[in-house]
Amino acid sequence: MAKQYDVLFRLLLIGDSGVGKTCLLCRFTDNEFHSSHISTIGVDFKMKTIEVDGIKVRIQIWDTAGQERYQTITKQYYRRAQGIFLVYDISSERSYQHIMKWVSDVDEYAPEGVQKILIGNKADEEQKRQVGREQGQQLAKEYGMDFYETSACTNLNIKESFTRLTELVLQAHRKELEGLRTRASNELALAELEEEEGKPDGPANSSKTCWC
Amino acid sequence: ISLTLLFSSCRNLLARKQNARLDKQNDLGWKLFGKVPLRENAQKDSKKIQKEYEDKTGRPSKPPSPKQNVRKNLDFEPLSTTALILEDRPANLPAKPAEEAQKHRQQYEEMVVQAKKRELKEAQRRKKQLEERCKVEESIGNAVLTWNNEILPNWETMWCSRKVRDLWWQGIPPSVRGKVWSLAIGNELNITHELFDICLARAKEKWRSLSTGGSEVESEDAGFSAADREASLELIKLDISRTFPNLCIFQQGGPYHDMLHSILGAYTCYRPDVGYVQGMSFIAAVLILNLDTADAFIAFSNLLNKPCQMAFFRVDHGLMLTYFAAFEVFFEENLPKLFAHFKKNNLTPDIYLIDWIFTLYSKSLPLDLACRVWDVFCRDGEEFLFRTALGILKLFEDILTKMDFIHMAQFLTRLPEDLPAEELFASIATIQMQSRNKKWAQVLTALQKDSREMEKGSPSLRH
Repeated sequence: MAKQYDVLFRLLLIGDSGVGKTCLLCRFTDNEFHSSHISTIGVDFKMKTIEVDGIKVRIQIWDTAGQERYQTITKQYYRRAQGIFLVYDISSERSYQHIMKWVSDVDEYAPEGVQKILIGNKADEEQKRQVGREQGQQLAKEYGMDFYETSACTNLNIKESFTRLTELVLQAHRKELEGLRTRASNELALAELEEEEGKPDGPANSSKTCWC
Repeated sequence: ISLTLLFSSCRNLLARKQNARLDKQNDLGWKLFGKVPLRENAQKDSKKIQKEYEDKTGRPSKPPSPKQNVRKNLDFEPLSTTALILEDRPANLPAKPAEEAQKHRQQYEEMVVQAKKRELKEAQRRKKQLEERCKVEESIGNAVLTWNNEILPNWETMWCSRKVRDLWWQGIPPSVRGKVWSLAIGNELNITHELFDICLARAKEKWRSLSTGGSEVESEDAGFSAADREASLELIKLDISRTFPNLCIFQQGGPYHDMLHSILGAYTCYRPDVGYVQGMSFIAAVLILNLDTADAFIAFSNLLNKPCQMAFFRVDHGLMLTYFAAFEVFFEENLPKLFAHFKKNNLTPDIYLIDWIFTLYSKSLPLDLACRVWDVFCRDGEEFLFRTALGILKLFEDILTKMDFIHMAQFLTRLPEDLPAEELFASIATIQMQSRNKKWAQVLTALQKDSREMEKGSPSLRH
């Protein structure tokens, strides 16, 4: 039987309620968009296998409830993630302001080398815009994140942002991937390696033998 | 409001339509055989067959009433045999040899016999289906009478009797459901309709002051900033449109939009310490479908005041973990193999239980089935919520044991839409809520005590 995937890892979607986390995800995994979505309670799951630089990557995506009250619960899931989308809504100043709080939660609860990316969603709602594009860029720069303005409705930058975060996670785990390449046969479940994440080897910073 | 009835009758209608379409297709298929499938002919033949069928089943073939006629036509019109007509060769061609003609006649007769057999079987199946439907309707009708005339007037003495409990398990008829839920949930908080009106008036006041921009009004709920309250009110608005969006009755302009808005708004004024928490809109919506606004509010507030619901909606994480731990005790006891499989895959109960408990299954189960879970939840209390969870896990045990983490998580957070009610309840019935002679409440209390002691002893052990 052909291998279904080479690498497996978890991405997490966080951000205020109603910024469109579930819609981003549905557009990415099923290429669907519904303007009236059912609220997410707790956490929802989706999965997709994509190919990045010849590596078949299976990503599990955890879609969390946005209400502040739920954060006690959803924080518990941060430590299981290798990559995190921080999502705000360009038509809601408040959701943008809250990104700072979301980032500090991530710093506190997520594993050390977790990759983050900033998303300004609902880019199609130009007439309702409250957060300028450059404000998003500025914030992303401050935190050293990549930034995308997306629209689940018009399918803008959806695939790009998911692929980008996947690449970032792959790069952050180059060392493990090298091992995968030499062994060639076994798949690598980063999702299962989370407990070892804190080990001293850390991110490989000088390895110039990047093959990707 | 018997929305569920409406659903099921819609479904029946749909099924009937599909059957009719299927029959029509059959009909077309046969038409290719016979060259002249005359319509009148078809009618006549169908009547004849119908008569034969009635003779066989020994029923007097009295003239059908107009209503019956309609049904009969619907059921019998597209008969397949009617399109089968054996004809001699046209006159301009030489006649068939006698032997061949005989053979064809025989074949033709066999085909007709087969087709008739099939039709008879189909007719019998439909008759049985109809009878079953009638039986269900009759038993619902009887149940309504029993609830209305016997049980409800003598609620205090009767509700915990064996007979009522059994009837309760079968599902409460939609027409009395709201009344039974109200009585079973009770009104420990002594909320009156007047109190609801007061809370609602306050909520409306806040909405007005928000929409006019004057958010710096008197702030009597100290500790809750204007921004917080604004966020919570906006979240209610957002969530109402995301509550059963496929029903299209709670959304802006829908018939129940204002009711849902009122109940959630009034609740945030009644319990500012709890406020609005996502998941509440589903509970309020289900209540609205079965009760008037003020009574729905009373039931809603009392329901949320129960220990399990309070623990969850206030997101008391420690207590929630205790509930999960108690659940796992019964999980392991009832389904040891699946329990081990979940453990191996690191699938913790919070992943699926949070959604199920917060919305009392109204989001994850088909609505009519969720209402039946609510029925028994009103009878048995929080224990039944966890018993239902185990019933679901047991029902799908074989499928789940073949899945990995992500497939299980996806499956459990999106249960099959056609989950069969009777099978689920049969599965729930087999779940034992006793663990080493301890009942749910005892297990929960013991675990609560443990976690309190652990907290006292070494707080650093908790993560």
